Amino acid sequence: MESRDSATAPAQPDRGARLEVLVDAARNGREDAIGQIVTELSPLLWQVARAAGLSASDAEDVLQTVWLRLITHLDAIHTSAALTAWLVTTTRREAWRVRGAGRRQIPVDQDGLAAVPDQRPGAEDLAVAADLRCELWEALGQLPPHCQELLRIVAFVPRPDYNVVAAQLGMPRGSIGPTRGRCLAKLRALLASSAEGNPDDASRPERQADR
Amino acid sequence: MTHPDLSGRPTDDEAPDESDLALLDEVRELFQAADPMPASLPDRIRFWLAVRDLEVEAARLCAEDGQAVLAVRGAEQSRTITFDSDSLTIMIRVEANQDGTVRIDGWLAPAQSRTIELRTVAETLTADADDGGRFAFRRVPRGTAQLVVRTGREPGRPGPAVVAPALVL
Repeated sequence: MESRDSATAPAQPDRGARLEVLVDAARNGREDAIGQIVTELSPLLWQVARAAGLSASDAEDVLQTVWLRLITHLDAIHTSAALTAWLVTTTRREAWRVRGAGRRQIPVDQDGLAAVPDQRPGAEDLAVAADLRCELWEALGQLPPHCQELLRIVAFVPRPDYNVVAAQLGMPRGSIGPTRGRCLAKLRALLASSAEGNPDDASRPERQADR
Repeated sequence: MTHPDLSGRPTDDEAPDESDLALLDEVRELFQAADPMPASLPDRIRFWLAVRDLEVEAARLCAEDGQAVLAVRGAEQSRTITFDSDSLTIMIRVEANQDGTVRIDGWLAPAQSRTIELRTVAETLTADADDGGRFAFRRVPRGTAQLVVRTGREPGRPGPAVVAPALVL
C-alpha cells in the first residue's frame, strides 16, 4: 500500500497496515477478510451510532446496514484511513436518517452523553475505576455536545487515522464545528479546574465561546 | 493548553501529541466501560453478511416472549420468538436441555414442508419441517445462531429462502 498517510501518529502502525491488507483481501472476494474488518471496527461504529443518540437496537440495525453497504463500496477504498472515514461517515449519516425517521422516539436535543443517561458507569464500575474516571465523566458531560461526540468517536478510531476522521467530523451538518484539538483543550481545562475544586469558573466561558 | 487556537484556524492538521493520545485512551476506556458494544454483535453481523448472497427474503424479529434476544446466555429457561417475513412466519420455542445445550421446536406459517438450517458458530444443522410446518432441533449448542428457511421444494410453491436475524441462544 503505497498511499499510507505520512502524517500518521507513530502508535499502532501495524493496525493500519493490517486493515489495508484486509481491505485488499476483501476486495478480492475473501469472505473471512470482511469478517475480520467487522470484528476490528464494529466497536468504533457502535460508539458512533450511540453517540448520535440511537437506542441499542437501532444501533445494531444501523451497523448491519453499514457493513452491508461497505461491500459494494470496497472498490473505492484503499487505505485504512479511507476505510475508517467512510465507515464513520456512513454510520453517522445512517444514524441521523434512522433518528430522523423517529422509529423510536428519541428527543432531538439529546446529544452525545445526554443521549445515553442510563449508560453512566454504575456503582460497581466506579468502585473499580475510582475517582479519576468519575472526574473525566463529569468533565465530558460539561463539554458542548459536538465535542462530546467528536472525542467519543475519535477515541475509538485507529490511531493512524485520527486526523482524517477528526477532520471529517469537524464539519458536521454544514457548520464549522469544533476540532479535535479545541475539544481536547476544553476537556483539559475542565479537568484542571475540577482538580482545583471549582469547575464552574473554567467551564462557563468555554461553553459560551463555543456556541 | 496543548492546542492554543488564537488564530481561530482549525488544529486538525496537527498530529495529536502524546498527552492527547493518553487522554483519548482514557476517554475510550470510559466509554468501553459505560456503553460497551454487545460482545456478540460482530459475530451476528458476520453471520448476516455470510448469507447475503442468497436469494433471500429477510425476516424481522417481531415478537419475543421471555428474555431479550440478547439475553445473557444461560440466563433463561424457555422463550418463544417469532420472526416475520413477507411470505412466512417462523415461530420458535427455545428450551434448555440438562446437558447445557438447547432444544428448538419451530413452526412455519403458513404450514409447509421446507428444509430449515440452523447456522451455529461450530456447524450448520438441518431439519425438515413436516407438512404441518413443524420442525425440531433437539440439541443445539449455545451461542450465536441463525435460522435459514431454504427455498421450497414443492413444485408450484417454491417460496424464497428466508433468513432470520441471528440470535444468541
